[in-house]
Amino acid sequence: MDLLEYQAKQLFSKVGIPLLPSQTIEDPRELKQLQIPYPVVLKSQVRAGGRGKAGGIHFVENTIDAIAAARSIFNLPIMGQYPQVLLAEARYNSQEEFFLAIVLDYQLQRPVLLGSAKGGIEIEPLLENLQKVVVKEEFSLFYARRLAIKMGLAGELIDSVSAIVEKMYRLFVEQDLDIVEINPLGVSSEGELMALDGKITVNESVLVRHPDLLLFQEPQNISQPQAKVSQSSILTPELRWLDWNEEEGGNIGIISNSLNLALVTWDLISQNKGKIDSCVLVGQETALDLQPNSHITRQIHLALQQLMELRELKIVVANFLGNPEFTQIVAQAIVDYLKPQQELKNQAEERSRRVTGSVSRSRQKRRSQQPSSKQKAIATQRPFSLVVRLVGAEIEPIKEHLAQMPVYFTDDLEEAVNKTISLTKSS
Amino acid sequence: MNWTPESKILVQGIGNTRGSYYATRMKAYGTNIVAAIIAGKGGQLLDDIPVFDLVEQAIEELGEVQTTAIFARPESVLDAALEAIAAGIRQIVLVSRGVPSLDMISLLEKARSTNTLILGGGSAGIIIPEKVWIGTVEPQYYTLGKVGLISRSHSLSYEVAIALNQAGLGESIAINLGTDRIIGSSFEQWLQILEQDKDTEVIVLIEQPNGNISPDSVEYIANNINKPVIVYIAGLEVPMPRDFTDALSIITTQISHSVPVTNRNQQIIAALKKARVSVAKRPSQVSQLVERALKKT
Repeated sequence: MDLLEYQAKQLFSKVGIPLLPSQTIEDPRELKQLQIPYPVVLKSQVRAGGRGKAGGIHFVENTIDAIAAARSIFNLPIMGQYPQVLLAEARYNSQEEFFLAIVLDYQLQRPVLLGSAKGGIEIEPLLENLQKVVVKEEFSLFYARRLAIKMGLAGELIDSVSAIVEKMYRLFVEQDLDIVEINPLGVSSEGELMALDGKITVNESVLVRHPDLLLFQEPQNISQPQAKVSQSSILTPELRWLDWNEEEGGNIGIISNSLNLALVTWDLISQNKGKIDSCVLVGQETALDLQPNSHITRQIHLALQQLMELRELKIVVANFLGNPEFTQIVAQAIVDYLKPQQELKNQAEERSRRVTGSVSRSRQKRRSQQPSSKQKAIATQRPFSLVVRLVGAEIEPIKEHLAQMPVYFTDDLEEAVNKTISLTKSS
Repeated sequence: MNWTPESKILVQGIGNTRGSYYATRMKAYGTNIVAAIIAGKGGQLLDDIPVFDLVEQAIEELGEVQTTAIFARPESVLDAALEAIAAGIRQIVLVSRGVPSLDMISLLEKARSTNTLILGGGSAGIIIPEKVWIGTVEPQYYTLGKVGLISRSHSLSYEVAIALNQAGLGESIAINLGTDRIIGSSFEQWLQILEQDKDTEVIVLIEQPNGNISPDSVEYIANNINKPVIVYIAGLEVPMPRDFTDALSIITTQISHSVPVTNRNQQIIAALKKARVSVAKRPSQVSQLVERALKKT
């Protein structure tokens, strides 16, 4: 979980990292009661990067300018995100700007200190001057001094910058952070340091031991890790669309209960010259508790429904492996989904389109390209086949339904893929 | 390594539905689950598994225990593992996913100093077909045989096992290293263990995008492993974004707001071929390569 700048700064202030006076603004009118003397910087509080270059930061000299600037920032999406809050902060005259960060290096399995004497928004000089110190054992201040020297700092800056790195390190360990970053760390002509912007990535799996960080969660995420059973059972986990496919012209959809199973299926289809259009994951295992059966069923229904709405798709191949109970639920869910469809089709009725849940970006894009609702209705009635690879499910009891349905069950992956390919060719 | 059907196994942190579900199923499979540790419920029974408040109390009563499987919440995993190590257990399977990285780092330090084998976090565990099942891996996909499987993904391991079974081959053992970013025992460690395992004749490493096989592991295989090794790489056809794990790349991708789709698979495949390790691109190819390797031996 990425924190917003003002949230990161709240944590910085706890460990004594120097900050300018600032104030959060939820409505432009609040600027009339601003406690900070002008000139002031107004900053859009979004998680997306590059907000400075996107126009999310304004320098203002008085209340009238500030209110106008705040309005425009609130109306400016950055990478699709609108800010809920702005941060008004005093201006600072930096002579120099540094970059400092602490990150866990998963290959080394150690925390790493990073620093660049060319901080700020210009990426190239920052990266060219980026220095690294691995914290090989228990942290001590000398690691930070080593970084400062590598950055080319001299004189009093060695100690003052090291002291800030030490505070960042304390935060990193105490709060289970994945990344803590200050960029830029402003340096005044007197050598005074100021954290002008900051970024913190929190390890979400342990929010439970940091109740203060829980407050920073985005509203839609709040119920997930902390919810009581009664609450979480109402929420169906979201579908996960793998929208990496940039190629046009695909006509096969994949649905699976694991990322890696989806990848194997994708490989085999591509190796057999089939073209993937979309891929969606459902019923993935959760970390602690077993997924209620109703969630799995609902997710499968939702995924099938959304897949069927994609005009490009001719065939959906499903690949599910899991415990015997799980595969049984999957088989049942698929048949239950197809049954009403089949009945509708038999009655030659146009299926009314239900409201769908959240869809991925590419899906929204693609859907908006779909022309008229009339054409869409035609699209939903086109021949559409489903190939299901399930191992260990008892399909005897549901077999009688299967005969009339456009679905092909097998327990063999290669057979499922071959069937899929031949269906693409025949239709 | 000691994973015989006689060796005693504990389960810890099973106060969640996933933990108790698998504990009872493992026991039913024939795994020698001797006790469950749930503080506050000592003296009770979980199905027919006796429950103790502390690991040391279980050991006092039941004698030496070789292995523990931990299903605890991520934030409690370090504590549970330290409790097991303090009580003398030297094989730990971390089924829990998302163990905090810094906790994992200190646990691994403790493990090194006590010579403790850690599998996971996020491990689906170990299966020796028809003998021992520890973790959440589904035993129905495995049959007894001569092929040792090492993977980080349990579902890829199922696919390979299914392909082997169809070819009339089976598995001597299947190990899941875990999905967490920081894991205990590595591909290399398990290669070494399986090199010495008398029931394993061929070793299959199962690799996935953003996986663990590095030029170093290829070199390790070339220099240290005499048994035939086959590597299956999944996801070769998938244009998946790369997940960086070293500090510099993590911070670079963050600063530049872009994730390059670089494919390091070709590099690895070239290195493997140079080291004369067979590479499979689909599960059925694994069984063909295993058959060929078994004929040679």
